[in-house]
Amino acid sequence: MAFPVARAADRGLVRRGAGALLVLLPLVFLAGTFFLPLWGVLSQGLRVEEVWSLARVQALLASPYVHHLLRFTLVQALLSAALSLALGFPLGWLLARYRFPGKELVRAFTLVPFVLPPITVALGFLLFFGHAGYLNRALQALLGLASPPIRVLYSLWGIVLPHAFYNAPVFARFVAAAWEGLDPELEEAARTLGARPWLAFLTVSLPRLLPAVASAFALVFVFCFLSFAIPLSLGGARYATLEVGIYYLARRDLDVPGAAALALVEMGIALGLTYLYLRGGGLFLAPGRRGRPREQLPLFSRPRQLAWLPYLVLLGLIFLGPLAAVVASSFFLPGQGPTLKWYAFLFSAQTAPLIGTSPLGSVLLSLRVGVAATLLSLALGLSISWTLHKLRWVVLETVLMAPLSVSSVVLGLALLIAFRRPPLALLGGGELAIVLAHGLIVYPLVVRMVRPLWQALDPGLVEAARTLGAGRLSAFLTVELPLLARGLAVAASFAFALSLGEMTAVAMIARPGLFTLPLSIYHLISARKFGAASALATCLILVTAGVVWIWELGGRKWLYRNGQA
Amino acid sequence: MLAVAGVSFGVGEGELVALLGPSGCGKTTVLRILAGLTPPDAGEVWLDGREVTALPPERRGIGLVFQNYALFPHLSVAGNVGYGLRFSRLPRRARARRVEELLSLVGLSGYGRRRVHQLSQGEQQRVALARALAPQPRVLLLDEPLSALDAALRVELRRELRALLKKLGVSSLYVTHDQEEALALGDRVGVMRAGRLEQLAPPEELYRAPATLFVASFLGRANLWPGVVRELAGPGRVTVQVGEEVIPAAGEAQPGTQAQLFFRPQDLELGKGPFSARVETVEFLGDHWELQARFQGFELVAQASAPVSPGETIRFGFKALPRLLLSSRG
Repeated sequence: MAFPVARAADRGLVRRGAGALLVLLPLVFLAGTFFLPLWGVLSQGLRVEEVWSLARVQALLASPYVHHLLRFTLVQALLSAALSLALGFPLGWLLARYRFPGKELVRAFTLVPFVLPPITVALGFLLFFGHAGYLNRALQALLGLASPPIRVLYSLWGIVLPHAFYNAPVFARFVAAAWEGLDPELEEAARTLGARPWLAFLTVSLPRLLPAVASAFALVFVFCFLSFAIPLSLGGARYATLEVGIYYLARRDLDVPGAAALALVEMGIALGLTYLYLRGGGLFLAPGRRGRPREQLPLFSRPRQLAWLPYLVLLGLIFLGPLAAVVASSFFLPGQGPTLKWYAFLFSAQTAPLIGTSPLGSVLLSLRVGVAATLLSLALGLSISWTLHKLRWVVLETVLMAPLSVSSVVLGLALLIAFRRPPLALLGGGELAIVLAHGLIVYPLVVRMVRPLWQALDPGLVEAARTLGAGRLSAFLTVELPLLARGLAVAASFAFALSLGEMTAVAMIARPGLFTLPLSIYHLISARKFGAASALATCLILVTAGVVWIWELGGRKWLYRNGQA
Repeated sequence: MLAVAGVSFGVGEGELVALLGPSGCGKTTVLRILAGLTPPDAGEVWLDGREVTALPPERRGIGLVFQNYALFPHLSVAGNVGYGLRFSRLPRRARARRVEELLSLVGLSGYGRRRVHQLSQGEQQRVALARALAPQPRVLLLDEPLSALDAALRVELRRELRALLKKLGVSSLYVTHDQEEALALGDRVGVMRAGRLEQLAPPEELYRAPATLFVASFLGRANLWPGVVRELAGPGRVTVQVGEEVIPAAGEAQPGTQAQLFFRPQDLELGKGPFSARVETVEFLGDHWELQARFQGFELVAQASAPVSPGETIRFGFKALPRLLLSSRG
């Protein structure tokens, strides 16, 4: 009975000063740092000599190179998603149906694609599957071959395979979560009605898993469609995606208006895909438990289950091989043996010509940007999730979450253009632009993580604090903030890892001397300095592992322990 | 949409007022307005001779016990009870003493370091009460504080609660949809219906002399017969025609007025008297038999001390005069 009245009260609060400010601040901030720069892209791409025209876009759409880009981007994204599905679905089955030692670790591993920087994947793939990579060398030694037997680099498969291994865990995660949420009694009912086990699966469980599989497919398709670091470092100009194409136009050919026009073409396509991406939001929700939990069988309790063994070996090879290759090559001098030289290089303050700064400078820049972007995304994320929690207007949500629907290359391009002229040019240079880009890329995810927690808070708690003498601000500080703190800590670690590994927007914005870790790795790879690149990448992998640990092993217990009785 | 309209009442110093009504009648809204959690569109809230309508909740000095307790899950029991003292000028040691004092008052000495989720429902309820009392509110509001508990515990805690509030002499307003609870707890009981206060009176008066049809039918078993006032039969006396029969009643109205006759089953005398009714159903309820009978086409609920069979005709009269109720306000 109090419900509509309580909402009226909230609107009253918003009307009263502080609340209105909290809503307005992020709006104004986004207007200046996102919508204005985006307008810059629009006017660069759609204006020829100060006159609005579609000429640039039409010229692009007629160009055979753009056709090739489009076709390749779509084909590789479809193939990558399909291969990820094939690789990841059985793992999801395994996680949902069986218990085995190390299962928690495997489950934690399924979070990797969301935080592991793609540049480390590209490096690992080169080192492991490359012509002179560990796998080829091992096979050559084993089989006595003269030339490397595996030749996948610099082909369509050279892009699709790393994408697939990078994204297969997404499927495992979605499928396992959906499966564990299914009530096993439905399948049991089917059995009592005469269905054999596989038929019960086919007619009862599978149809209920399809939505999860579909949203995972959409998510992975979008990831691969917008992939940048992997095709850039493994594909070259021939196997370039749209994102890489825009980057080449803007940064290699210095044709910013052309890049803007291509960005508009991509945005047109991406807008349709965004809808699918939004449907994939289930990742950040607590696993729903309906009905009785499924009974899990111990793995390898029956001889038939030995069939899992080859799959697990293949999986281990594909997943752990490249990562292990990165770590290994960071400790070896080719042909000479173990060394710490690459780590000495990592912490040297001497300028390395390849990256235009000292390696240490690159590390420190990444850390500075990471911390600043994390703080920015937390501030934005917290105020926006509060706003969306109070005012559930679809239009407001669309506006406040808009950066989600713009690819990182386009965002980088927008900021590149915007920082060349007032008002943003007044704020100075590149480092701030990188922080902004990362803040804008990450905060929607912070909102996704924080908002459900906020909504789960009993509004009575704040009211109780108010009747006990706390003002609105102290009620926030003493009640809401402590209850959200753990969620915020997880979101912060996530944001930090994403910023540390982000290379797409950075590649658009950065100039020599402002190379963050992933960009330095990319340039070291281009120069075939694999040892140095591996040392930097190993640091990124360690940070990633830390975040996964916080999220999966510590975080989930933290997050949901505060569930109110 | 109006949730509440035309509700006006006061709570005296140290008095316990219970607000009773079906769910959705606006009881909770009244509490929220008093606590300052919902701003009223019109009307005023006064406290100790001071208007507080515009004050935010934290500056009213009104304690509220929430229906679901709203205990802070991140704080210990002591942290919860001591929360409101953070905003007082009490030194740290005095605060700790006050927390201990309140915990022992509600019978939870030594529970201070426990986590809230380790407590039973009844214990959580006591913590919520202690927390609301800690800052010494000038008025304590309780929003169905016992509704989450099972029946036996509810009765036990109800007694404790009344004794405690009376001992402390806190002015309290208690909201509930349970009539037994309201009658047992309140010094005065207010009955609400659809956002309006129908009657505010001591429980005995409310039960014996309801002011409206709604109050009459909402509280306890009641007989209500529609009739027409026939003639005045002295000061405060009328006769009322029900069907073919004429019945004396207490009340005043012009002859010809449509009205309802109200009386409790206990007001009847069975076995003799001027009227007769045909028994339809009989239920054995332990200490008596409850009859449903038909009188002039209307339902009669009565209590018999000896078994009666359905189909029998019984005679009855009135020990206490039925009361005349004019059609309900609102």
